[in-house]
Amino acid sequence: MRAAWLICVKDLRARLRDRSALLIGIVVPLGLAFIFNSIFSGISGASDVISLGVVNADHGVASQQFTSHVLPAVDRSGLITIHTEPSLARARALAANGTLAAVIVIPAGFSARVQANQPASMQVIGNVDAPVSTQIARSIAESYAADLNRVRLSVATAAGSTPLSPAQTQALAAQAAATSAPVTVTDVSAQTKELNQKSFFAAGMAVFFLFFTVQFGVTSLLEERNDGTLARLLAAPISRASILGAKLLTSFLLGVISMAVLVAATTVLFGAAWGNPVGVTVLIVTAIMAATGIMALIATLARNAEQAANWQSVVAVILGLIGGTFFPVSQAPGVLSSLTFVAPQAWFLRGLGDLRGGGVSVVWVPALAMLAFAAVTGGLALFRLRRLAEV
Amino acid sequence: MKAFWIGMANLRRMFRVRTNIFFVFVFPLVLILVLGATFGGSSSPRLGVVSVGSGSLGTALLGELEQIPHLRVVTVSDPATLLTQVERGNLAAGVIIPPGYDGAVRAGHDAALRYLARPDQSSQQLGETVRGAVARQAALLGSARFAVAQHAAPDFSTGLAAATRLSPAVPAVSVTQTNAGTTLFSRTLGQFDEGAWTELLLFLFLTAMTGSVALIETRRLGLSRRMLATPTSPATVITGETLGRVLISCVQALVIILGSALLFGVNWGQPAGVAAVVIIFALVAAGAGVFVGTLFRNEQQAIGISLLLGLGLGALGGCMVPLEVFSPTMRQVAHITPQAWGNDAFAKLVGHGASIAGILPQLGILAAYAVVLLVLASWRLRRVLSA
Repeated sequence: MRAAWLICVKDLRARLRDRSALLIGIVVPLGLAFIFNSIFSGISGASDVISLGVVNADHGVASQQFTSHVLPAVDRSGLITIHTEPSLARARALAANGTLAAVIVIPAGFSARVQANQPASMQVIGNVDAPVSTQIARSIAESYAADLNRVRLSVATAAGSTPLSPAQTQALAAQAAATSAPVTVTDVSAQTKELNQKSFFAAGMAVFFLFFTVQFGVTSLLEERNDGTLARLLAAPISRASILGAKLLTSFLLGVISMAVLVAATTVLFGAAWGNPVGVTVLIVTAIMAATGIMALIATLARNAEQAANWQSVVAVILGLIGGTFFPVSQAPGVLSSLTFVAPQAWFLRGLGDLRGGGVSVVWVPALAMLAFAAVTGGLALFRLRRLAEV
Repeated sequence: MKAFWIGMANLRRMFRVRTNIFFVFVFPLVLILVLGATFGGSSSPRLGVVSVGSGSLGTALLGELEQIPHLRVVTVSDPATLLTQVERGNLAAGVIIPPGYDGAVRAGHDAALRYLARPDQSSQQLGETVRGAVARQAALLGSARFAVAQHAAPDFSTGLAAATRLSPAVPAVSVTQTNAGTTLFSRTLGQFDEGAWTELLLFLFLTAMTGSVALIETRRLGLSRRMLATPTSPATVITGETLGRVLISCVQALVIILGSALLFGVNWGQPAGVAAVVIIFALVAAGAGVFVGTLFRNEQQAIGISLLLGLGLGALGGCMVPLEVFSPTMRQVAHITPQAWGNDAFAKLVGHGASIAGILPQLGILAAYAVVLLVLASWRLRRVLSA
């Protein structure tokens, strides 16, 4: 046990001295998370209020109803702000330069045409690069248009083939307008089980590079065999289990150090929110175990340290990519979105996301999944490592 | 000539390690595919809809939702799955059309749809599109109900049939749409186009950077000492090593360009222009790679720095998110990277069909990068080799 600890301390010291673990485990992920964050924080994201303009060139009954009842209700939601624009030219210019996402224009004579049961139309001018916001503006206008159409159609349906006098039509229309809509939409708020952007880049980069950091422990067994120091270790009164244990422990501790520093640094430096400390700890520990197991298994399949490092990088990069550490693969179409769960990284990130929307208990499923990765790959690795530690 | 053979030896050494083939050729192509499939083309938000057991009126409402432009409707089997998908961000928002919707509306009851949204604003804003679709259907349903109330129809279904029949003949209030402004993105771009050139620049630079490891290996194994022991000048060795990096980049570019064009139909623009960007960018990358290779003695340290610079400068230069969506300040900052100028050049070549003459400013700046970096690299390499 003591021998294992001594080997482990020796390895850790060597890694700290040549600074490579420091670079891969801390500097690179931190630097990349910082860069991604600076780029993305300037990009309009989920937290933007949509600015819509309205130009009322009509000022009749129907347009007043829209501008003083429908639009204020939309504005009150706090999601969309409505700006009344005096002229069409100005509003169009603002939509063109993107100050307004879209403008709803009510042309002169609109109310008169509505009143006279003639075809009438509203116009939406959208910024070319804001198609979704333009669609939202259009939907607001269409909802109102649909309501006007409902009244017209109600009158027509109720009248059937009987011709109506203008007074009768008006009375029916007033009645139809007073009836409530048969279908209502109620809002249900769902929780957010997504990491915010800062936390996503911090967590994504941390777990991506974790798979590189833990390589330093297990792969050093191959280096020791190459350099002939493994034979010397085995000649000493040290059990093989101690040597293997020491290497796995080195990987684990390097992982712990790297993740602990990254969690602390990203929290302090750019305000990443990792979530409940207990849950985060469970996820990090199981992720390190999974990473150690997988990387150890690959090391045992390689002929030498160089080949091991090459294969490990390939696997770490593939798992990192499909595990969604760079971009959320779960939003990809088709098989890709379920394929992501062959990567422990995906479970780690899902665990952190779920933790944001729930209690600590939500981490058990991802934690168990990562433990399963650790158990299977680690078990196979130990089985093969035993043979590797025979000179 | 000797320099050329030193370069070729570098190329052969790269090919000998099979994992290099993965990182240099296969991985970039896979990434072009994955990114194109995930983000390429439309970035329409996805609306999840549960309409199980909602009957024919429920199906009709689903049809109304599917007709909304810039919205992708995804049907989901049950409310619990929908909730989870929305919470996890896989869907922008969700709508539940309750089972028995059809029956309830026909029986004259009020039906309530549930709209599921996360607290973030984009998720809630989409609710307006759902309300729009509901209002369109409600025009028919409300008219049918009104007809029944006015004794113009014996029951709801007859009323609905009458309203549906009359609807096209009733003068409609409609909404027309036009667009304003000039688009940042070229509309002619294919699904994989932008992803392809950004990945090409990212990986050309990244490969040249991690190639710095080969330079360290050359020194560690004593290859450079042996070369210098032969009647070969340091200048030839330096040219050869740099040429090796450039050759690798050119082969890599050729494979990625041809591969993505054949496999995913990527359009690359005028060949002369593309060749110019690729060759000059390869020189920039080679200069940077050789320079980094002279700064470290330890291969793992060089890998760490190469990843940081390769991925970091790539991200900053618009290889991961298009420069067009950067904030104005960040876009200015981005142009300290050669990748940003490369991206600008490709945006002109592919997006706007420019020829080599149209990208001369970008090529000029890239050439300046190449000169500075190559001078720096050969100065450092000469010092390291003579040490």
